Amino acid sequence: MNLKKTFIILLALVMTTSLILTGCGGKSDDGAQGENVEGEVKDDEGKEKEIDDESKASADKIVVFQSKVEITDQLEALAEEYEDETGVQVEVWTTTGDDYFQQLKTKLGNNQGPTVLSVNPGAETLQLKSYLADLSDLSFVDKIAQGMANEVDGKVVGIPYTVEGFGLVYNKDMIDSSEVTDYDSFTEMLKAQKDDGINGFSLSQESYFLIGHILNTPFALQEDPSDFVEKVVAGEVKMADTPEFKEFAQFMESIREYTKNPLEINYDKEVGDLATGKTASIHQGNWCYDMFKDYELDFDLGMMPLPLCGNDKLPVSVPNSWAVNGTALEEEIQAGKDFLDWLYTSETGQKYLMEEFKFIPVVEGVESSNLDSLSAEVAKYTNEGNTIPWVMHEWPAGIVDVYLVPVAEEFFTTDMTGEEFLEALDDAFEQAGE
Amino acid sequence: MNRRKGNTAWYMLFTLPLIFVFTTVVIIPFFMGIVYSFFSWDGLKLNPKIFVGFDNYIRLFSDTRFLSSIGHTVLFTIVTVLFINILGLIFALITTTKLKTRNVVRTMLLMPYLIGGIILGFIWQFIFTDVFSFMGETLGLTNVFFNWLLDPEFALISIMIVTTWQMAGYTMIIYIAGIQAIPEDVIEAAAIDGAGFWKTLFKIKFPLMMPSFTISLFMTLSTCFKIFDVNLSLTGGGPNNATEMFAMNIYNEIFAKNNFGYGQAKAILFFILVAVITLIQVSITKKKEVTMQ
Amino acid sequence: MKKALKVLLEILIVVLCLLYLFPIYIVIVNSFKNRAELYDNILGLPAKIDFQYYKTAMTKMSFLTAFKNSFIVTAVSIGIIVVLASMTAWMLVRTDDKLSKVLFTVFIATMLIPFQTLMMPLMQVMGWIRDTLNIPMLDSLGGLIYMNVGFGASMAVFLYHGFVKSIPISLEEAAIIDGCNTFELFWKIVFPMLKPTTVTVMILDVIWIWNDYMLPSLVISSKHLRTIPLSTAAFFGQFTIQWNLSMAGLTLTIIPVIIFYLSAQKHIVKGVAAGAIK
Repeated sequence: MNLKKTFIILLALVMTTSLILTGCGGKSDDGAQGENVEGEVKDDEGKEKEIDDESKASADKIVVFQSKVEITDQLEALAEEYEDETGVQVEVWTTTGDDYFQQLKTKLGNNQGPTVLSVNPGAETLQLKSYLADLSDLSFVDKIAQGMANEVDGKVVGIPYTVEGFGLVYNKDMIDSSEVTDYDSFTEMLKAQKDDGINGFSLSQESYFLIGHILNTPFALQEDPSDFVEKVVAGEVKMADTPEFKEFAQFMESIREYTKNPLEINYDKEVGDLATGKTASIHQGNWCYDMFKDYELDFDLGMMPLPLCGNDKLPVSVPNSWAVNGTALEEEIQAGKDFLDWLYTSETGQKYLMEEFKFIPVVEGVESSNLDSLSAEVAKYTNEGNTIPWVMHEWPAGIVDVYLVPVAEEFFTTDMTGEEFLEALDDAFEQAGE
Repeated sequence: MNRRKGNTAWYMLFTLPLIFVFTTVVIIPFFMGIVYSFFSWDGLKLNPKIFVGFDNYIRLFSDTRFLSSIGHTVLFTIVTVLFINILGLIFALITTTKLKTRNVVRTMLLMPYLIGGIILGFIWQFIFTDVFSFMGETLGLTNVFFNWLLDPEFALISIMIVTTWQMAGYTMIIYIAGIQAIPEDVIEAAAIDGAGFWKTLFKIKFPLMMPSFTISLFMTLSTCFKIFDVNLSLTGGGPNNATEMFAMNIYNEIFAKNNFGYGQAKAILFFILVAVITLIQVSITKKKEVTMQ
Repeated sequence: MKKALKVLLEILIVVLCLLYLFPIYIVIVNSFKNRAELYDNILGLPAKIDFQYYKTAMTKMSFLTAFKNSFIVTAVSIGIIVVLASMTAWMLVRTDDKLSKVLFTVFIATMLIPFQTLMMPLMQVMGWIRDTLNIPMLDSLGGLIYMNVGFGASMAVFLYHGFVKSIPISLEEAAIIDGCNTFELFWKIVFPMLKPTTVTVMILDVIWIWNDYMLPSLVISSKHLRTIPLSTAAFFGQFTIQWNLSMAGLTLTIIPVIIFYLSAQKHIVKGVAAGAIK
């Protein structure tokens, strides 16, 4: 009697499990996971997979997976409009900004990848190049602004999201940008602000905000930045012997001496301090504009270059680009391309790019009428040609978080000299490149 | 007694389903990981996989950063396991008395375990950075209360505190189960024999709770050795790598630096190390367990 | 007098606990603040108690769908873990031979493997099962449940293994003489006595599975299959976090677990094993 009961319980359990297994699986199988059953992908024993009819028809659905979580809601709204207009269903996957690339790699690694994805130009693109479809035949490719398309081996594999620039985001009531033009005037400004009880300049503890962005500038000022990175990694050139870096170290020493320790400040606090007049300038990019929306600002925000060696150019580049998963089915690659084409050429698509995602135009024919003040500055520098590149995308993978942050932490918590700081950075680049 | 005689079928029926699932989910991937540790590879199928033999393992021994991360992890684990278990045991003893509020108290003590990840790190970061600085200034104790996260040693202590705070409720649950499995009459008998509180505790309760100790020590040991979330969100390994633990080191190797093979080699070495230590611990405490006959 | 002292003691303990929960206070008050307010004073009470962020968080998380998925995954995973692990552990304890010892050691040794090193090979294995056997192990709740069972096996076996030993074997022998077979013996006699352990396993596993982010983030991609922790991911940018939404989301996530714990702990009935000895 009791034995029977137990058997029934067990059986029920197994049944439920298998029901869920098949039930839920079935649902996803003909949908998002259509690309799983790829024609060209072989399993471990090398058997060719068969493509059933069901998955062939699945190009009426694509999956978009991208790293900029700030535009997730807008992207989902866009997806609905796209389906209304074209009948193709777009599913948006989300994840936290931190683990996007890790997840993308894991998913691509076992044919579970999305159709449309995002990838940083530089090291990340190179790593994924076998997975990226050739987008050279998209209708608007020749209209992408000079040098902004993400190219590998002469093929366009990435369509730029937007451009972003960073530098000193400052309070126009406190700083006159024409007076901060070199090391001496920058340090003077820090001193003067400190005497007024104000933090003249602020970094913050998050990796790129602490060291990644600010270290980009001396690299970008080199004659051939890419070549320079290679040489530093190979140990052929030392930053410690390079004038731009020597001055960079002086900047960092002044920052350590005259401003609050950035390790005690997080992004929220950095922005809040600027918004409430406790800080005069922060090293940030136009992306931080959104962070001010809960504050009532009683001053204007400006953006200017870090005046390293008298530099008057803003580091501007494409932070991210759209790509299509080249290991997906033919029909899906096509559907992904169609989506990107629509995004950059249709009225609705452009409206979303400019007004909802708040991107700065990078494709001819796409224009934005209402840029926020920081983006407008970036656009101004770009149009005037006063830009320097983002070299940091060419640094060895993972270097900022894994190697540079510890060096910066040591610099800001000890009395390490500028020279020792540069030597430690040299070591970091060599180690990261191993 | 040999229950197994003619009972192999029962043995298989009882154990095989779980072993099957377990093998496919844990054992096979683990062995695949061992194989990958002999390759130089970034983990992407279409990218080149180069066989390098024992190179990854040889490299480990000159990787000072990895070796010091092992050092931090071992130190952290020893201290934290001790505190978690002492605190958890105290919690369990308090909440198994005749307190009226014991259910509420238990729930409250378990709550820290429910908060994970980035938010936990943010909150404690705020406490160690702002609240501590504030307390130091108001109380005039700036040598005790300052920004702990900027000091290599205190940053490590901070992780110990947060982990203890988080996990004590977890061990409490295991200890509660252990205490409640002690037969009432044994305690009563001890009371009749005139044993006081401490004597009952050390001579009766603790020996009978040995399984709980084994389990709880092992669970906290394995959790602490693998600590990742708190490490990442509270200190991020800083200042200057002083608090970079082993799991974070591996994670960076595999996912930030794309050295999948080398990261696997690190994991295997550490696994062997930790397995030896913990299995010794388990066999010691297991011997002290009382099997009721 | 003594009674007053006792009440005082109880109050003291509760107050201490509240102090202990200070970080949780920070979570709750900040789920009502916007960025400017949070910057202004993290510790202070919110200017007004307005559940707008909870509403927004619920909509953005598709809370009901996510709750349903989390519930299915948690309940089914734990059901299977409890059944399979208790049977396995009991067999391993009662069959005292080399094989059992080896199996037990393997179970617990694997608890020391960091998940980060298993995730890529695991996804490959599951991808292979999907491609060759056509069982959808990835992007399905069933697949997630299967993997949860695999990862939860060790701890559950370990817990049961420890407590099975405290059950007097004489009882089982008596049952065999009464004519029980192994199956009946386990479910009628042994399993009920394991109840405190079962409840413990359930509590620990509920907390783990309900809050787990890493594994589901690898297994589940589709929107309609997201569990609660996955559905809050969009609140976390690389450097910017929507604190109010994420804290509201966190509060919404942990409330069901607290309710579960409150109702479950009543079932850790004191002296189940003790009653059986008499």
